[in-house]
Amino acid sequence: MQEVVVLGVGMHRFGKTGDAIVGNKSVTELCRAAVDMALKDAGVSWRQIEAVSAASSRFSGGKGWGLNGNDIVEDLGCTGIPVFNLSAGCAAGGNAFNVGYSMVAGGMYDMVLVVGGEVMPKGMIQTSGVEDINDPEFLRQRCVGMPGPAFWATLARRRMHDHGTTEAQLARVTVKARKCAVGNPYARFQKEVSIDEVLASPYVSDPLRLFEICPVSNGAAAAVICSAAMARRFTRKPVTVATSTVATIGFDDALPRSLAGPVPSGASFHTEAKAAVMRAFERAGIGPREVSFTELQDNTCYYELAFPEEWGLCEPGEAEHLVEAGETAPSGRMPINPSGGFVSFGEATTAMGVFQIAELTWQLRGEAGARQVPGARVGLAQTNGLGGNATAAILKR
Amino acid sequence: MSELREPCVPGLFTEEEGGRLLGARCRSCGTPYFPAPSHCRNPACAGSELVAEAFGGAGTLWSYSVANFAPPAPHKFDAPFRPYVIGVVDLDAGLRVVGQMLGAASEMRVGARVELVIDPISHEDGKAFTSWKFRLA
Repeated sequence: MQEVVVLGVGMHRFGKTGDAIVGNKSVTELCRAAVDMALKDAGVSWRQIEAVSAASSRFSGGKGWGLNGNDIVEDLGCTGIPVFNLSAGCAAGGNAFNVGYSMVAGGMYDMVLVVGGEVMPKGMIQTSGVEDINDPEFLRQRCVGMPGPAFWATLARRRMHDHGTTEAQLARVTVKARKCAVGNPYARFQKEVSIDEVLASPYVSDPLRLFEICPVSNGAAAAVICSAAMARRFTRKPVTVATSTVATIGFDDALPRSLAGPVPSGASFHTEAKAAVMRAFERAGIGPREVSFTELQDNTCYYELAFPEEWGLCEPGEAEHLVEAGETAPSGRMPINPSGGFVSFGEATTAMGVFQIAELTWQLRGEAGARQVPGARVGLAQTNGLGGNATAAILKR
Repeated sequence: MSELREPCVPGLFTEEEGGRLLGARCRSCGTPYFPAPSHCRNPACAGSELVAEAFGGAGTLWSYSVANFAPPAPHKFDAPFRPYVIGVVDLDAGLRVVGQMLGAASEMRVGARVELVIDPISHEDGKAFTSWKFRLA
């Protein structure tokens, strides 16, 4: 195995179709901006890239087949390099990073571009794209009508029952997230919100409110990764990829993802996310309490409470108190989503795994400005997506 | 006048015996399924002996949420949209099922006893299209 490093990262600020940030830019234009920035940051020319690992979008570009990596290669100039288009729902960016990492670690290539971008349709994500009675996701939406926010709200309601979590505590997570995003030049929302404003926003899916659920956004992110040996030619201070992992749900997963499943014997959580993160700790030889900060998939503020407990970053039932004590802020003892997270960026679905790699890199270089985690040495990233997909990555300096 | 009722997806459930989901159970490992798969999916089960089983009757509300806004396609609903409660129910038969709830969110509580029913979710061409739902027992 070769040691893998992140040499350069780039991002196009997240926005909404028609606004002053992204206007009517295509997904390939957004990706181009992120890739140009990552190449420049790495000090690498396009012709030095040996392979592309790209997230596949179901919503934009890619010739309707998720060939978004091919669009990017055509745009930058066809050099004949291999392109890998990865599909894993909202975990696709994390999968693309993992495949790029694995190829460099395995010695197949020395210099790989990882990229993800989206131009999202308005409103709630349509999870099933086909009217096919053999597709469980179609059956779930036709027979019940349970889009993403209702799934998250069900988990939040259960947490309220199990831990006594209050609506004010959920709102406080959003207040913290939006405070982090102030001054983050890539965040879609860069203004603070008060707890009263969060609690005055309408329910999208009771008990979760508009400000507590990430909207969909347009945006893109890119990373240039390479072998540690090659990196010495470009930089003295690369960010090291301690590991990158991918997992899917276990048979014992009992969250209400499909129409039905066996009643579990005990508590049930996101088995795919936990498996990816636990495997990352094991492979990196880094424990949960050694993590300086975490970027996790906060489609809703519920996850900022649940995931740290499930992964051993803190004790079960402790998360609400850590949030209220300010310990999940960048200066706290368990910083979560110093970028501002999905709640402040909105979700450009397949870009998010790469977005996290960019934020981890900036934090570990000490380049994160007002949201900088003091003395950050180890960063954990995690995504999950439809189909029971999850990814994790640990970066260190 | 009773309206003409038709399942929103054919073959998944029946109105007989107060409403039943047409699933299966593996005789080898005991895992219940809805809908019925072609073979047992338990990676620890070497057997895969699926037999048809109809699931319904009573259960317990594990959690619930509300669709405060209309879900996107392929869901279908009668205009104007009215928010509905979605329940996750642990049937006494050992199956955890998602379904719409009859009743308002204010009436719900985690742990409540419920029962499965068949009820319309949308109307089109003079017909009521039905699905399974749950009501407080």
